[in-house]
Amino acid sequence: MANKLLDALSSVGHRMSSSMRLINYYWQRTKRNKLAVFGLAFIVFLVALAIVGPFFTADPTAVNFDEKEIPPIGFTTQQSMYDIASNTFTTKEVNGTWKHPLGTDSKGSDMMAMIVSGARVSLLVGLIATGIAIILGTIIGVLSAYMGGWVDNALMRFTDIVMTFPFFLLLVLVVFIFGPSLAFIVLAIGLTGWTGTARLLRSESLSIRTREFVTAAKALGATDGRVVFRHLIPNAISLIIIIATLSIPGVILAEAALSFIGLGDPTVPSWGVILESGQHTLDTAWWIAVEPGIMLFLTVLAFNFLGDGLRDAFDPKSNV
Amino acid sequence: MKNDIVLKVSDLKTYFFTRRGTVKAVNGVDFELERGECLCLVGESGCGKTVTALSILRLFDSPPGKIVDGQISFDSLDLAKCSSAEMRRIRGKDIAIVFQEAQSALNPVLTIGNQITEQIKLHLPLDHTRTVERAIMMLGDVGIPSPASVMSYYPHQLSGGMKQRVLIAMSLSCDPKILIADEPTTAVDVTIKAQILDIFRELKVKRQMSAIFITHDLAVVAEIGDRAVVMYGGKDVETAPVSEIISRPKHPYTQGLIDCLPDSSRSKNRLMSIPGTTPNPMDMPPGCAFHPRCPRAMKICRQQEPTKTSISDGHSVSCHLYT
Amino acid sequence: MGKSWLRDYVIKRLIYSIIIAWGILTITFILVRIGPSSPADKYLANIAARGADPVQATAAIEARYGLDKPIYVQYFNYMGNLFRGNWGWSFSTSMPVIELIKTHWIYSFQLILLSSLFAAILGMLIGIYSAVRQYSRMDYTFTFLSFIGISIPNFWLGIMLILFFSVNLGLFKTYYDTTLPLFSLDNLKALILPVITLGTGMLAGYVRYTRSAMLDNLKKPFVTTARSKGLPERTVIGKHVFRNALLPLVTIIMFDLGSIVFGGAYLTEIVFGIPGLGQISFNAIFANDYPVVVAVTLIGTFIVLLVNLATDISYTYLDPRIRYG
Repeated sequence: MANKLLDALSSVGHRMSSSMRLINYYWQRTKRNKLAVFGLAFIVFLVALAIVGPFFTADPTAVNFDEKEIPPIGFTTQQSMYDIASNTFTTKEVNGTWKHPLGTDSKGSDMMAMIVSGARVSLLVGLIATGIAIILGTIIGVLSAYMGGWVDNALMRFTDIVMTFPFFLLLVLVVFIFGPSLAFIVLAIGLTGWTGTARLLRSESLSIRTREFVTAAKALGATDGRVVFRHLIPNAISLIIIIATLSIPGVILAEAALSFIGLGDPTVPSWGVILESGQHTLDTAWWIAVEPGIMLFLTVLAFNFLGDGLRDAFDPKSNV
Repeated sequence: MKNDIVLKVSDLKTYFFTRRGTVKAVNGVDFELERGECLCLVGESGCGKTVTALSILRLFDSPPGKIVDGQISFDSLDLAKCSSAEMRRIRGKDIAIVFQEAQSALNPVLTIGNQITEQIKLHLPLDHTRTVERAIMMLGDVGIPSPASVMSYYPHQLSGGMKQRVLIAMSLSCDPKILIADEPTTAVDVTIKAQILDIFRELKVKRQMSAIFITHDLAVVAEIGDRAVVMYGGKDVETAPVSEIISRPKHPYTQGLIDCLPDSSRSKNRLMSIPGTTPNPMDMPPGCAFHPRCPRAMKICRQQEPTKTSISDGHSVSCHLYT
Repeated sequence: MGKSWLRDYVIKRLIYSIIIAWGILTITFILVRIGPSSPADKYLANIAARGADPVQATAAIEARYGLDKPIYVQYFNYMGNLFRGNWGWSFSTSMPVIELIKTHWIYSFQLILLSSLFAAILGMLIGIYSAVRQYSRMDYTFTFLSFIGISIPNFWLGIMLILFFSVNLGLFKTYYDTTLPLFSLDNLKALILPVITLGTGMLAGYVRYTRSAMLDNLKKPFVTTARSKGLPERTVIGKHVFRNALLPLVTIIMFDLGSIVFGGAYLTEIVFGIPGLGQISFNAIFANDYPVVVAVTLIGTFIVLLVNLATDISYTYLDPRIRYG
């Protein structure tokens, strides 16, 4: 009895330690790519910002017309106001203050608060929508590869059809029809973005299926299910991680673009919405457009660096 | 009396400077090529024979590779140091090379005709019609049937043996003074191998071209070579006319190579082989590179590199047994 | 092998494309129908805004557009209409959708064409240079820049360009002037910033793809053979290596069209006020003008379908291994 328990524990421990060794090996290879490390650091910072930030910033939805269009700290702008009664223009200088370190928008809402809550939105959308797309894509791809025959054919034709739609146009159509609530936007992105993953997982599954170790396993009596779980998934995991990391930026941009054209969820402060409002005040309040854009850019850049670094780390042929 | 010498390689050293270390692929090679002779460079894989050939035409990848020492004298030029422009003039025209991987040595998206005529147009002052005629003639010379139609074929439409012939035809198209053939019979099966050797024999007779024939197969050396240079660990260890190499090999490595040939007249049970493996070019053993595998190694072999000694006219060895 | 095989292949691909086309139309139809608001509701919102009686209007609309008929009849009507060129009525602009498209497509076309040319030509040149000079400082710089190019949100890039060049430097107008004749130099000047905006993302992609295709081919044995003939290096790279790299590149570029170009063009038109198909779709969204949004989506999709088909077929011509295989 005690022996069996020890055996089970040791096999679990063995499995975990070999996973840890693997993870460590890939981490070492990734670490050597400085850009990837920067990417990861920025993402960690962003996640921290999203989780902890809202507790330290002002209310992003607070509106205060007295404090509208204040520049970020260190900048000074001129604001003109027209007084109807006296028919005069008064111009005053407005300085950035520490109360609003990143300035305010046209309604007086604090930019920093909005950026921080925008981070939350982008990360959540990024993670969940990507998750949906990847899970859906993996299921379809693996199923297609393993069932073969007409199932494979039908699923791949279907994938081809969906793939022919330009991603953004399809997304716009879907959100337009079904309404721009955040939950639905996440769902829509997930349900339209799975095609690439499906294709990749299908070809990976097919190639694994014909590799010798699978034949060997089957010769030893493994069932299909066992092969899928013990052999296919571990090999596919590295592929899935890379696909995920490289898909998240596209998803975040898609959500921002939707918000930008007015199909975003109006109750949610997304970077895209801020950017859109900043478009109209480029000459008087340039920071409203610049700040969310920089955040979007850096976020996408970070994920791209990380994804590329991971891809090199996982590729046995590249000499990292 | 020696015939005149068309190519002289002196103390050639070609190193590859990589991230993981310096690969001393060619580490001091000397030989001479006489007019009209077929000189064979013999040795196992990794001994530096291919890099030697590439060094003559400076075709190795230049960021990692570099000729660090030595001279290659050809036609009053030192090929190791001449300019790129001079090099390009010589390549394909005075000295031509045929590679072993016929499968991938031809450009898959260009026709055979395109690939042959571009070389002819580059070096010979012929008009278009004459160029095409010459190309067709070359293809015919190497035994390609209906060469005129083959001109419009793409490489993948030809068999391995045909592709190898095309490569040979291309290399001969501008009447080179020297032809270097890098293991042209290695990657093909036995019947094609015989055909290719026939082509080379014919060429030797018809054109009196000087050739450097690289191979690891002593049988080929015996069939086609006039003199042989045995290479090991980036150096030449024995040089002699082929008949002497086969009948009176002096260097233990050469002896080992000859013993390895399967000989049905000997009623031994096992095939012989030289124990051990070829040395790692990044980590050569001290002294004589062969000493770890040599059945007659002495104490001095571990400490000092042997110098070249002349056994008789035209036969030299680098081995402590003879110094 | 030979001619008849090619003809069969083309026919096969055509049939396949027709199936895909059918699938596209069907999916679009399903999406429109299962939406929470029926098309009648959207029309309704408009009619109500103009002060008509909703109940009467609903009945009239449903009769007029056949929305009261069973679903499969609606489906046939839908397919039939599309083929006959009846793509519905845009009530926000009071003209048939197809008229709307006819007047606006040219603006999208010129934007996409110029951006693609800019991105492809420059991208390939930089990619070739990067591959030939791998590991050099310029190579690293270009690689870094292409990361940036891929990562910049293109609508933000457009806004930043406007901020910098139009607002601060006053070099360009902030809004596209539609009165300019299409083939004029002024028009070209007005398109500079939009083309840079749309083209940058594409450019970065092309640089990476070209570089990697070139690197793959530079390692191959036929390159050494080419050099051994005495060919000058520029011929080796330009004729031998590039032609091999071009094959996979063409397919990647064409297939990328769907994912990057149309989404990017949509946003670029909106930022710069270019009255192309993206802009009219955008306007239609605000006006709840259903048919226009659907039409623009379908047009984009069918163009992608045609380009895919064309690429497929032309690839068999470009790669001699397939043509004479």
